[in-house]
Amino acid sequence: MPDIEFKSPIAHGPVSAPDGSVSLEDETSTTKVVVRAATGTAAAADLGVPYGQSRLRADGTLVCGTRPGEWTLFAAAGRATEVAASVDTDGFVNVVDVTHGRAMMRVSGPKATAMLAKVCDIDLTDDMAPDGAVFSGSVAKVTCDLLRSDWRGEVSYLISCERSFGNYLFATLADASTEFGAELPTGLDIH
Amino acid sequence: MIVVNCPHCGPRNSSDLRPCGEVTSRPDPATASLSEWRTYLYMRENPSGWVTEAWYCRSGCRRYFTIERNTATNETRRSEAS
Ligand SMILES: [Zn+2]
Repeated sequence: MPDIEFKSPIAHGPVSAPDGSVSLEDETSTTKVVVRAATGTAAAADLGVPYGQSRLRADGTLVCGTRPGEWTLFAAAGRATEVAASVDTDGFVNVVDVTHGRAMMRVSGPKATAMLAKVCDIDLTDDMAPDGAVFSGSVAKVTCDLLRSDWRGEVSYLISCERSFGNYLFATLADASTEFGAELPTGLDIH
Repeated sequence: MIVVNCPHCGPRNSSDLRPCGEVTSRPDPATASLSEWRTYLYMRENPSGWVTEAWYCRSGCRRYFTIERNTATNETRRSEAS
């Protein structure tokens, strides 16, 4: 896999409320590798998390059970080749680097859940979506993969979607954040 | 809103899913008569009551499953992975 120059589809810098109640930032450069592996393969056993859960591997890769028999591996930018090579491809196993194909953003803060609930019908309570929970659903009508990944002691979500929807989703989440005090940068206005 | 219980994702709004209609069994294409094939393609029981339906979890787990739904009340039961 050759390393292609990275370019984010999200054209705007971070958006946040001055009181820190909600913030939104582009995380698209995160390494994202999708693995599909049949039950019984070494890859499925090694990845080891069931659908809906995630775990941090010793090498710093976050392994998410994205769907039954499908995992997404997140790591720091520029690690795709190394992360893909860490998967045992013996048997019915497929590994694809989707770093450039999917946009990703992080929503954090004490009001992050309330903001997300405006545009997403999934139950985001701690019982249903605790820290580490992995789920997929519609966010502002875009089909997204979500990960509850609390960060710096705050509630936080990593949301990824098809690259071409990234800029729209970022602008829409920024707009939803204005109710909680976020200030939109100039040029970012969906109305 | 109809709440449909995906066997993998749990209760979801039906707008997160794609309804694929009543579960029917496909006759053997090599031996089916035209009438049997037409019945398979177009004819449905469409009862006012319990029906077994296939659904596709398009924004969740991307899996097909079957569920029984009461078309008069939209109650659902017996969700099973296909
Ligand atoms: Zn599902």
